[in-house]
Amino acid sequence: MNDVKTHKKRDIFVEGAIPASFIAESIAKHATQTAIGGHEIFLGQVRADQIDGKGVEAIEYTAYRDMANEQMAVIREEAFARWPITCLHVHHSQGVIKAGELCFFVFASAAHRQPAREAVAFVTDEVKKRLPIFGKEILSDQTHLWKTNA
Amino acid sequence: MQVLLFGIIAEKAGRERMTITASDTKELRARLVEAMPFLASLNYAVAVDRRLTNSDRALNGTEEIALLPPFAGG
Repeated sequence: MNDVKTHKKRDIFVEGAIPASFIAESIAKHATQTAIGGHEIFLGQVRADQIDGKGVEAIEYTAYRDMANEQMAVIREEAFARWPITCLHVHHSQGVIKAGELCFFVFASAAHRQPAREAVAFVTDEVKKRLPIFGKEILSDQTHLWKTNA
Repeated sequence: MQVLLFGIIAEKAGRERMTITASDTKELRARLVEAMPFLASLNYAVAVDRRLTNSDRALNGTEEIALLPPFAGG
């Protein structure tokens, strides 16, 4: 995780759902960074919305990957400029993610809790607004709708 | 130039990319609606070289264009 501090461009996308074990391993990797006093995490989970009597069974995510990663690098720089955070990790799923599975992981660490909290809230909101990620909601009758972040 | 299609636009067009010739973004938008009339009733943004464009600008033909329906990440 030492590469985090360079703020270099990276690929946030993972194929399929984000396993809980991946999150546990991400936390564990910070044990050596003893200047950290707090971690803050946001986890996005696919919700089984009911739409016209049909349940959302899954969301298929696609993305304009190059632009999304470039936008993420900008958001990352903004977060590091605004808050004294030690690290920031963002991962988003591509592909079909079933209801109940995790599709979005934002993780900030800092010496103290407040900057970590504020950075995660900011990054979570900005990713939803600014990254070209598209979601096809697959319904129980196998029809679909295109989700939008209103 | 290459035009990348995403989400509902790729679905309706039945493809993920196409080639369009245009000398500026205004002409590009007109050509796109000619090629894909369904665009007239869709909400989408145009990105040039991975940046959203709000005003008209000239194009030299080497740009990467993308048509982006509303975002749904997170």
